[in-house]
Amino acid sequence: MEKVIGIDLGTTNSCVAIVENGVPTVIPNRGGYKTTPSMVAVTEAGKRLVGHIAKRQAITNAENTVYAAKRLIGRKWNSPQVKNAVATSSYRIVQGPHADVRIVLREKEYGVPEISAMVLQEMKVIAEDYLGEGVTKAVITVPAYFNDNQRQATKDAGEIAGLDVIRIINEPTSAALSYGFGKNVEKTIAVYDFGGGTFDISILEIGSSAVFKVIATAGDTFLGGEDVDARIIDWLVQGFKEEHGIDLRQDRMALQRLKDAAEKAKCELSSVRETEVNLPFIISSGRNEALHLQRTIDRKTLEELSADLIERTVDICKQTLADAHLEKDDIEEVVLVGGMTRMPKIQQAVADFFEREPCKGVHPDESVALGAGIQGSALTDDKQEMVLLDVTPHALGIMTQGGYFEELIPQNTTVPTHRTKIFTTSRENQTAVKIVVMQGESERAEENELLGEFILTGLRRAPKGTVEIEVTFEINADGIVSVHAKDLETAKEQSIEVTASSGLTREEIKDMLEGAKDYMVERRSTEEFEAAKQEAERIVGEIERLFPQVEQIVAASDFGRDAIEKARAIVAKARSAIAKRDVGAVKAEIEGLSRTHRMFKGVVAKTH
Amino acid sequence: MTDDRRKKRSAKPPEPSGAASENDRPTVNPPFDVEAFARFASGPSSPQHGLPAAEAPTRRPPPPASPPPPPEPAETRERQITLTDEAELEAARVASLRSDPPGPGRASPLSIADARAPSSPSMPVVNADRSVTPTSIEAAVLGAIGSSRAPEITERTIDDPMAEMRERFSLGDYTGALEMSELILAEEPSDLEAAECGENCRSVLEQMYAARLGPLERVPMVVVPRTQMRWLSMDHRAGFILSLIDGSSSVDLILDVCGMPKLDALRILHELVQQKIVAFR
Repeated sequence: MEKVIGIDLGTTNSCVAIVENGVPTVIPNRGGYKTTPSMVAVTEAGKRLVGHIAKRQAITNAENTVYAAKRLIGRKWNSPQVKNAVATSSYRIVQGPHADVRIVLREKEYGVPEISAMVLQEMKVIAEDYLGEGVTKAVITVPAYFNDNQRQATKDAGEIAGLDVIRIINEPTSAALSYGFGKNVEKTIAVYDFGGGTFDISILEIGSSAVFKVIATAGDTFLGGEDVDARIIDWLVQGFKEEHGIDLRQDRMALQRLKDAAEKAKCELSSVRETEVNLPFIISSGRNEALHLQRTIDRKTLEELSADLIERTVDICKQTLADAHLEKDDIEEVVLVGGMTRMPKIQQAVADFFEREPCKGVHPDESVALGAGIQGSALTDDKQEMVLLDVTPHALGIMTQGGYFEELIPQNTTVPTHRTKIFTTSRENQTAVKIVVMQGESERAEENELLGEFILTGLRRAPKGTVEIEVTFEINADGIVSVHAKDLETAKEQSIEVTASSGLTREEIKDMLEGAKDYMVERRSTEEFEAAKQEAERIVGEIERLFPQVEQIVAASDFGRDAIEKARAIVAKARSAIAKRDVGAVKAEIEGLSRTHRMFKGVVAKTH
Repeated sequence: MTDDRRKKRSAKPPEPSGAASENDRPTVNPPFDVEAFARFASGPSSPQHGLPAAEAPTRRPPPPASPPPPPEPAETRERQITLTDEAELEAARVASLRSDPPGPGRASPLSIADARAPSSPSMPVVNADRSVTPTSIEAAVLGAIGSSRAPEITERTIDDPMAEMRERFSLGDYTGALEMSELILAEEPSDLEAAECGENCRSVLEQMYAARLGPLERVPMVVVPRTQMRWLSMDHRAGFILSLIDGSSSVDLILDVCGMPKLDALRILHELVQQKIVAFR
């Protein structure tokens, strides 16, 4: 049975998990880390960097390093989130050909799903290296508030990465799956997810027969651990400026080191009461001497620096409970997700608000990926029964006269569902109406997401308000939205099926998929060569180490001299193959090198 | 760039301690004519001959055709060019190699002050306690020079930076040629020849530093104890490179993530290795 991986495609970090022998397991990357930064960069030499390596140069190569692409995925160019990102991102964001968003790296434009695909491809490689076999199927998680276009864009990213995305599931649902795995619980739980770049709060019902239902969800896509890092950086920069009169922000290398140190200090302060930030040679003074930054930061200072950020998360929790018409008492468990929830002050704030100790039974960094892995396993194993009930992440409705938004299906309605409303004409003798289908929560139509539009024609000429049009919204089990408009008098009907779009055409996706395949072929080939080269060089080193001893032992005989010459020729051939980067030749030479090495070792061993 | 502006450039002779910085300039084999150079350095026709090595630098008289330069206010360091020919450079280099112990102007054994590439803003490169392993050609040249007396070090005005750049390039002084090309490009960014020469110099210098460092997939390690780190003398760029050395990242990876020009990074890494602050596994 083919393995299905679960991927938590996060704003700042991603994680991949799998169920092995019934046990959900997170797969570490080559560096041994269980999470991989969701960052992509292109170096001056045109080399692609993904993950930790991209993060290490994120500030010194800021224009060509993409972070938080998830905030842009599936969004339209004119959306407020994109405008915000354009204003605040260090990399260049431009308008795409389909009113979508493109990112420019080293003068080349990339679609946002293409960037996310690079991260997904990295997660796929991590899983393949671990499993020792190819992986093609995946379950990917998305925030519960993602609209259809964002979900479709995530699916497209998976496709570009060479993955068949068999299911997209909500992150809080995934965390709840991880929490409820192996337990027979029926509870209403809150998932408080404070990650590196975003904050989300979701209320879920875990019912009998492992039914998971999202009741309400809300969050802030620009609130995360990076904001806390920024506060620490500000504190360090300010202190240094007061001491030396130098603004470290003016130097990118200093800022890169500050960013790394701030994140490290933040993490350390979750387990110790104080820590030292020590950055020698952080900057050169005008007098040609390097200055050092050395400061101690304690937990209390960090709590003061981040107090308002924590308060914002509590406010969102308050609002979400109110929107869901729930009381704190209704929440039977609070599950903490995201690295920031390790911070004692945050745990305290959550406990104070919900008036109960939060559950620490799930791993804050891994639970979402583990849940996706569990879902992937369930989808391929008939014996496992699990029902995930999806809800509409946003309200659905149409635009009415004056630019207002009339809601038909409220936010968080369990799908499948359908709702009908009667509308009338707004002008005298109006013979056609335009149905503009939208998604969102704002009363102003322009602030919501446009999903599609169509025109119902052939209406009876009549005074305004007299012709009645029945509009029906329907969402089927696959999440496909269809809208019907019907003239009640004539029974004339028009409809539209709203198909989500990532902003990329099929052709573009196909081209990107080919590009990703080529990249993988090249990468695997390079890795193969490097492995062969290292092995060959290791044996060459061993042979060379033994040469003097062997020469001394066998130099007296013609046979010995001949053997030495042959050995030299083999080493030379191996070096030549390495220089030509000919992986086949290097591999072929390894056999000869190994034979020579064995022979040399034998000769030396016999004389001792 | 106008000729007038070019003529304005002049430079002071390097101080004896400054020779150490010239010493750092890698000497490259092609297109270096060893024999001609050796003849030039040791031959009786050498105009520098007959002067004591320790004699104070003298000002070379301006060419007769050139009008005397107008009096100028004190020039900034950026506009000054230390101009010596290759023989002078090599003589200085030999002198610095012989000088023992280091003078007060030289860095301590733990020093890597101001390690930077020529393309960086001007800061002299101080190379202390450098162990030089000359290539065979370098050895031949050094031998030839070593038998002769050190030539005088003089100052001269750059009349034609382009010619100077070509000359330095032809002599294998790629660092000097790169400096010239950057000087020309600073005033005439569209100068194709200077751009091309600069690129070539960079490429050769990168190869040279890479060769000195060995295979770039090797993993460097910081060998100076953390507690002693702050007593080293180095600039913030070297400090940044040092911060990237974590015992698991290869040179290749460090070059990828450091965000500075490859040549600068290679030179700094090379300096760190030379100073025994960094070693390879």
